[in-house]
Amino acid sequence: MFELDMRSGEPIYEQLVYQFKRLIIEGVMEVDEKLPSVRDLAGQLTVNPNTIQKAYRELEAEGYIYSVKGRGSFVQQREEQSNTAKIEEMKKRMFPLLREAFYLGMTREELEEIIRDANGGMDDD
Amino acid sequence: MIEVRNAMKTFQSETVIRDVSLSVRNGSIYGLLGSNGAGKTTLLRMMAGILRTNSGEMKIDGEDIFENNRLKETMIFLQDDLYFFSQYTPKQMARFYRETYPSWDEERYAGMKQSLGLDENKKINKFSKGMKRQVAFWLALSAKPEVMILDEPFDGLDAVVRKTIKSMILEDVAERSMTVIISSHNLKEVEDICDYIGILHNGTILLERDIDDLKGEFHKVQAAFRKGKEPDMSPLDVVHREKRGSVFIYIVRGEKDEITSHVQAAHPVVFDQLSLTLEEIFIYEMRRVGYAKDDII
Repeated sequence: MFELDMRSGEPIYEQLVYQFKRLIIEGVMEVDEKLPSVRDLAGQLTVNPNTIQKAYRELEAEGYIYSVKGRGSFVQQREEQSNTAKIEEMKKRMFPLLREAFYLGMTREELEEIIRDANGGMDDD
Repeated sequence: MIEVRNAMKTFQSETVIRDVSLSVRNGSIYGLLGSNGAGKTTLLRMMAGILRTNSGEMKIDGEDIFENNRLKETMIFLQDDLYFFSQYTPKQMARFYRETYPSWDEERYAGMKQSLGLDENKKINKFSKGMKRQVAFWLALSAKPEVMILDEPFDGLDAVVRKTIKSMILEDVAERSMTVIISSHNLKEVEDICDYIGILHNGTILLERDIDDLKGEFHKVQAAFRKGKEPDMSPLDVVHREKRGSVFIYIVRGEKDEITSHVQAAHPVVFDQLSLTLEEIFIYEMRRVGYAKDDII
């Protein structure tokens, strides 16, 4: 399903939460699709079941999944797709690149041109 | 729930377990780490009810473990050097286990025979070392114990078999809340399946932590500042600081966001957050409790 980095200092449950979010956001997992049972996933990934339960609880608290007693966990219908977190993340990724570009002498005008192109040539001024 | 309170064990004049207290929740997998001679095997033998403590308590769900037959029927102890009756085949051993463990599951036994692909009519002493260990797990998991105590269980197993056995243990933990204690001298061997780690050294537990909590506790920051001017880092809990050229490396204990905003406020020209391996985390945590030795785990 996906790979976890056991050796990383990032908690396994956070890695699980991140991976599931990605699958859900990208639509790989569809609304009402059943998530693997804790037992199966623990066996497959050789990860402690308590860790998986913790990740599922977190996903539920954040509204990504819902659980039905005795049946398991399912992908939740997202009410409103909020991209705020993703945009923040992209800003962070752009920042060092822009720093480097300015350092190398790129002008504000050149950057604005890139923005216009990237925006499909649609400009509001 | 397994509870050990102030346990002590001496052999003649030698104190092997000095003062150990620990608890293992039901459905938890507890990794008992320690170098050779730390006392792991002795502690496990006490927890399995084979050795009597000199003082202190060893209880499962409030009952004393030592020579408690009712508890032992729900418990499997896999020793470092495995024991089988001589000349016995797995099938004959299974017959003995069936009579000893009320929860013995014949279906599970048959299922594992398929997945392990071992001959149940071959004498166990004719099997290789790794296969003997597989037989031990075959019998142990078929007995469906509530508590499993495993002393260096993965020694001598190849990667594939190791994963198969880990998966089976994990499935039982998930399904029936089996409680597991695994000893190892190697963190890497058990870090994936344990949710709790205790480090035994010189007969005492140095450190006991929930792995996930521990992982979120430490952060590595790499930063450089204009004209090499280092900001005041004293508001943060810096456990390690290092300067490489004009780049500072900090190991900081605390909330990631708090650390980020503190360093960002000094407008660093270079700023990276790196992740630590579990091994590194343990080394820093051990230093914090006063152990500078890095070779304990």
